Amino acid sequence: MSQSRNSRREFLRNMACLACSGSAAALLPQLRMMGTAMAATTSLPAGYKALVCLYLQGGNDSWNLLVPWDTARFNTYAAARNGVYNSSTNSNGLGLAQPASGNAQIVTDLNNGNSATNKYFLHPNLTNLASLYKSNKLAFAVNVGSLKAPINMADYKAGTSVPPQLFSHADQTGQWHQANTSTTTALGWGGLCADDLQGQDANQTSNPQLSLCISIAGANRFEIGNIVNNPYQLSSSGLTNLNGMCNPCSGGASNSSLRDSALNDLLAATYPSDFAAEYGNVFGDARALFSTLKPNLNTGTYAVSTTFPNTTLGNQLKMVAAMIKLSKAQNYATRQIYFVQLGGFDLHSGFMSSADANNPPGNTSDHAGLLYQVDQAVNAFWSEISAQTLTNNVTLFTMTEFARTLQSNGSGADHAWGGVHFALGGAVNGGRLYTQGMNGLNGKGIDGAFPNQSYGTLTNPNPNAFSRGQFIPGLSVEQYAATFAKWMNVSGTGLTAAFPNLGSFPGGTLGFLPTA
Amino acid sequence: MKTSAWVVAIFLLAGTASVHATVHDQLFKGTFDIPADAPTSAADAARFLTQATFGPTPADINYLMAQGYSEWIDEQLAKPVTLAEPTVEAVVFARTNGGLSVGQTQRLNRTYWQFAYAPDQLRQRMAFALSQIFVVSDQSSAISQDVVPMAHYQDLLANDAFGYYSTLLNDVTYSPTMGKYLNTYHNVAPVCSGSGSNKVCSTSPDENYAREVMQLFSVGLIMLNMDHSPVLSGGLPVPTYDQTIITHTAQVFTGFTYSNAPTNPANFYYTPTDYAGQYNPMACWGTELFSANNPNMKHDVNGDDEVFGVPLTVLGPSGVGSVTSINAATDCSIEIGAEMVAIASHPNVAPFISRQLIQRFVTSNPSPAYIQRVATVFDTAGNDLGDVIKAILTDTEARNPPALASGDSYGKLREPVLRLTAMWRAFNAKAPAPDAYGEVKMIAYGGFQGGFGQSPLESPTVFNFYLPDYQQPGTFADNGLYSPEFQITNTSTTYTSSNIYYWFTAQGYQGYTTGTPAAPPVDRPLIDLSSLTANAANPTAMVSTINASMMYGAMSAAMNTRLTTMLNEMKSGGTSPTEMAWSAIYVTMLSPEYSVQR
Repeated sequence: MSQSRNSRREFLRNMACLACSGSAAALLPQLRMMGTAMAATTSLPAGYKALVCLYLQGGNDSWNLLVPWDTARFNTYAAARNGVYNSSTNSNGLGLAQPASGNAQIVTDLNNGNSATNKYFLHPNLTNLASLYKSNKLAFAVNVGSLKAPINMADYKAGTSVPPQLFSHADQTGQWHQANTSTTTALGWGGLCADDLQGQDANQTSNPQLSLCISIAGANRFEIGNIVNNPYQLSSSGLTNLNGMCNPCSGGASNSSLRDSALNDLLAATYPSDFAAEYGNVFGDARALFSTLKPNLNTGTYAVSTTFPNTTLGNQLKMVAAMIKLSKAQNYATRQIYFVQLGGFDLHSGFMSSADANNPPGNTSDHAGLLYQVDQAVNAFWSEISAQTLTNNVTLFTMTEFARTLQSNGSGADHAWGGVHFALGGAVNGGRLYTQGMNGLNGKGIDGAFPNQSYGTLTNPNPNAFSRGQFIPGLSVEQYAATFAKWMNVSGTGLTAAFPNLGSFPGGTLGFLPTA
Repeated sequence: MKTSAWVVAIFLLAGTASVHATVHDQLFKGTFDIPADAPTSAADAARFLTQATFGPTPADINYLMAQGYSEWIDEQLAKPVTLAEPTVEAVVFARTNGGLSVGQTQRLNRTYWQFAYAPDQLRQRMAFALSQIFVVSDQSSAISQDVVPMAHYQDLLANDAFGYYSTLLNDVTYSPTMGKYLNTYHNVAPVCSGSGSNKVCSTSPDENYAREVMQLFSVGLIMLNMDHSPVLSGGLPVPTYDQTIITHTAQVFTGFTYSNAPTNPANFYYTPTDYAGQYNPMACWGTELFSANNPNMKHDVNGDDEVFGVPLTVLGPSGVGSVTSINAATDCSIEIGAEMVAIASHPNVAPFISRQLIQRFVTSNPSPAYIQRVATVFDTAGNDLGDVIKAILTDTEARNPPALASGDSYGKLREPVLRLTAMWRAFNAKAPAPDAYGEVKMIAYGGFQGGFGQSPLESPTVFNFYLPDYQQPGTFADNGLYSPEFQITNTSTTYTSSNIYYWFTAQGYQGYTTGTPAAPPVDRPLIDLSSLTANAANPTAMVSTINASMMYGAMSAAMNTRLTTMLNEMKSGGTSPTEMAWSAIYVTMLSPEYSVQR
C-alpha cells in the first residue's frame, strides 16, 4: 500500500470528523493535511516528549503500594486489613508488616513538614521505586478515582454526582480511560490530547503515518481520539514477518511477491461492507508501517542497551523504549503517547501466599509478585531512558480501574474506589505525595493528607469510606490526567475538550509536573 | 475442466456420489418432498452453515438442501453431545503415566478436533458462543492447571446448550471451575464479633461472582426493553442494581467446596484426588449439613448487613430500588435456588442474552425488532435455548440479508477461530492419527490466544475476548455501530493470525513434508487440495472453487479477477499446482472479503 493512499484515507477520515465534532481541536489536523501556513501558528514548544501509561488491569490494591509508617496510622491500617479465614493460607490477613526504622522502603513526604505524619513505606518488593522516590523522580497521587464533581458521603447517599456503575471493571476502566464519567463517549483522554498535539505538531515530523498513540497492549479506549482515532498497535516481541509474503519485496517475480502484490491490492480496494473496508484499513496500515519501522526497530544503532526482565511488562516496556529511541532519532513525532498493561490485579483470591516472605518474586501471580514485576520492569525502563538521555522527556504513570476494599474477603479483597498512583520522570517533582484538593473542596472530599483508614463502627462510621474500606476519592481522574496533558503542552482548547469538568475541582491540576 | 466436489455441491442441486448412508435417505426424501424452507441455492445453504456451524462442507450443503432449515436445526438439536472430558481425561492419564507433562494443550487439541469434526456442529457452536458469555479462562492461575475440569466445563455448556437458560445458570453457578475462577469456591461466611449496632466483621464474603453473574451472565448493568434499548428515567438509563445488592448477593454465594470434601471428619479445604471430585457440582456446606453454630457450617445465614433474622434483599425485577427478599436463615440450596430464580426471571435476561447470541451467530448490529423477536421466543418458551437458537437462525434478518451497497454494516467480522475451522472443513482437513497417548494433535505450535487474540476458554479476563458494545474508532463509532471482533483485530494481530493460518495452508496440506527425513507433520490436520489442483490449468475454475467453498459464492468480481490474475501469473512462472492451490486459499484467508460473514 502506498503512503499516498494512506494519507488520503486519513484525510478523508479527518474530513468526515470535521462534520461530526466541529471543535477547534478537530479542525487543526485538516489544516495540517492541507499544508497551509495557518497550521504553524500554534506549533508546540520544541523538543520531544513521551507519556507512558502503565495500566494495572483488574484493580490494583494500592493501599498496599504505599502505607503510613508512623505507629498510630500503621496500627489503624493493620487493624483494617487483618481479616483472616484460613490461617494456613493467609496468616497475616492482607496487611504488610511494619518495617523497622532505617528500612530502605521507608520514605518521607517532602510536601509535609510534620515529621510525626510524613513517613510512609513502599511495598517491600518495590525497592527500585523506593529508590527513585528518594531521588525525587517519583511522586504519588493519593486517593484518586473517577468523579463527576467533588463529593462527600451525604452526596453519595443522596445520589448526587455519583459516577455511574462504580465498582464495575468495564465501566470504571472506561471512566479512567476517558477521565470523565460520561457513559456515552468512546473517546479516551490520551487520544483527545493526541488530537490537539497533532494539530499543533504541523509539519514538524517525518512520518505522519505513524499515530501519535502507540499501544503495546492491544485496543484501548485511552488512546482513541476524534482524529488520532486508533493507536498503532504492535506486540511486545516487536514486528514479525508475514509468512509467505516478502517483507518487503525487493524486485523480481517470486511467488512471494505475487502473493504479496495480490494481498496488498485486496487490502487497498474499496468495499461496500464497512467490516471489510475497516479490516482492509487495519491490515493495510500494518503493512505500510511494517515497511517503515521493521528495518530499524530495536536493531543496530536503534537497539535498546538495557537488559529488560523477560516478563509481560518487561517486554512491553522494552518495546516502548525501542519505539521511543527510533521515533526520536528519525523524528517520527515530537509528542507520543504509549499504552502498556499488566493484568492479574483482580485479586479476589490468591492475594498473598507464603512464598512472599522471602526471595522475591515468590509467587509471581499474587500481589507481591505482580508488584515485583512492575518494580523490575519500570526500573529497567528507567535505566534505558537514562541511557537514551531522555529522562526529562519521558513520564510514566499508572492507571487502574479502582483500588480494593481494605477489608479482606478471606483470601483477597473486592472492588473499591479511590486509590494511590505514581508518576515517574525527570520532569516530575518527586519525593512527594500529592493530596491537594482534599482540603477545602467546598466541604467535600477527605480531610488530611492521607485517608484515615479506620472503619469506625456501625453507628459512627468513617465519613469518607464505605463499610469495607472503599474510599470516596479526594482527587479526580481528570485532575490527575490533566497534569500530564499540560506537561505535554496540550493547548487550552485541547484541555477543555479532554477534561470538560476540570474546573469543577478546586486546585485543578496536581502540580507534580511543570506546565510548560 | 474437471468438476470438483465443491462445484458439484454449489452449482448442482443433486448430491454427489459419495455421501453418507443416512444422507441417501434424506436425498430420496428430498426428491419427492422438497421441504418448504429449503435453501434456494447451494450458496444459500453454505451461507447458513457458515452462521450455524464451524464451516460448510459439501456433504452438509447437500444434506441441508434436502432437509430444509427447520428440519436440519431440529435434527441438530436432537443430536447427542460430543464430549471433551472423557477423551481429555484419558490422554492426560496416559501422558502422566508416560512421564510427560500435561497442560491446556491437551484440552485445546480436543476442542479444535470437535470444532472440525463433531457431528453436533450447532451444539458445539452454541457451546463456543456460550463460553464467550459464561467465561472461564485458563489465563487465570486459579484454574490454569485444571485441564480435565475445564474440559468438563466445556461439556457442561454443550450439554446445556439447548436446555433451559435457568438450568445453564444453575449448573454454571455450581461448577467448581467457575467457582474457582470467580471465587465462590471456598467463599465462606464472614468472621464477626459483637452484636447489634456494635457488630464488627473483620471480613466480608467475596463479591466477585455476585457481581459478574448479574453484570455478564444474566441481566447487565442497565434496565432493558425487549428490543435491548435502555429503559430511561428522566432521560437516563436505570441501573439494574447497586453496590448494596452486590454485597447482599455475595452473602448468598458462600459455603462452596468440592463435591466430595469429607464431612465426617469434616475437611472443608479437602482437595480431591479424582477428576470427578474436581468437576462435579460443588457442595455447599450450609445448614443442610451442619447445625448453624457448627464451625463447619460455612454458608452465611445472616441477612442484610450480616444481621441474623432479617431477609437478604437482592436483585429486583425493575431496576435499582426494586428488590427481591429471600430467606437467608435457611439451607444453602434453598437460598441459592431463590437467588437463581430472582436472576433468571429478571426481564433483562431475554434481551441481554439474545442480543449477544445474535452477535455470535449472525450480525454485530441486529435491528431492535430482530432482538425483540428472539427475546420474545426466549421468554415465551420458558427460556428454552434450543428454541432461541432456532429463532435466531431462521429469522428473516438472518436469512435475508440486505442487498450489499456502500456503507453496509450487516453481518460481522468472522471470529479468528472460525476463519480457521471453516477453511479446514471447506477442504476436508484430515486429522493426524492419535499419538501413543491417544491424543489427536490439531494446533501445531499453538499460541492462538496470543496470535488470534482468541481461543476457547482462554479469554484474558471474564470480559471475553471482546465486548458486545465495542465500537471500532472511525466508521463504526461515528455511526453508532458495534464491531466486537475488531477489538482483537489490529496492526499486530493481523500479522500474527495470518502467520497461524500459514501453518494450516502452506504447511498443512496432504503431501506437505518437513524435517529430516522429510515427513508429513503430525501436529495438525492436513487439508486436501485436490479440488483446486485438479484445475491447476484453469485458474478461473480454481477461483470458482474458492468462492464456493470458502465464501458461499459471495466473492466480488474484483476479488475474483485479482485472485485469477495471481494464479495466472504463477502458472506462467511454472509454479506447482500445489503452491498455486495453497496460495489461493492463504491469500483468501487474509482478504477483507473472507474476513466478513454476511
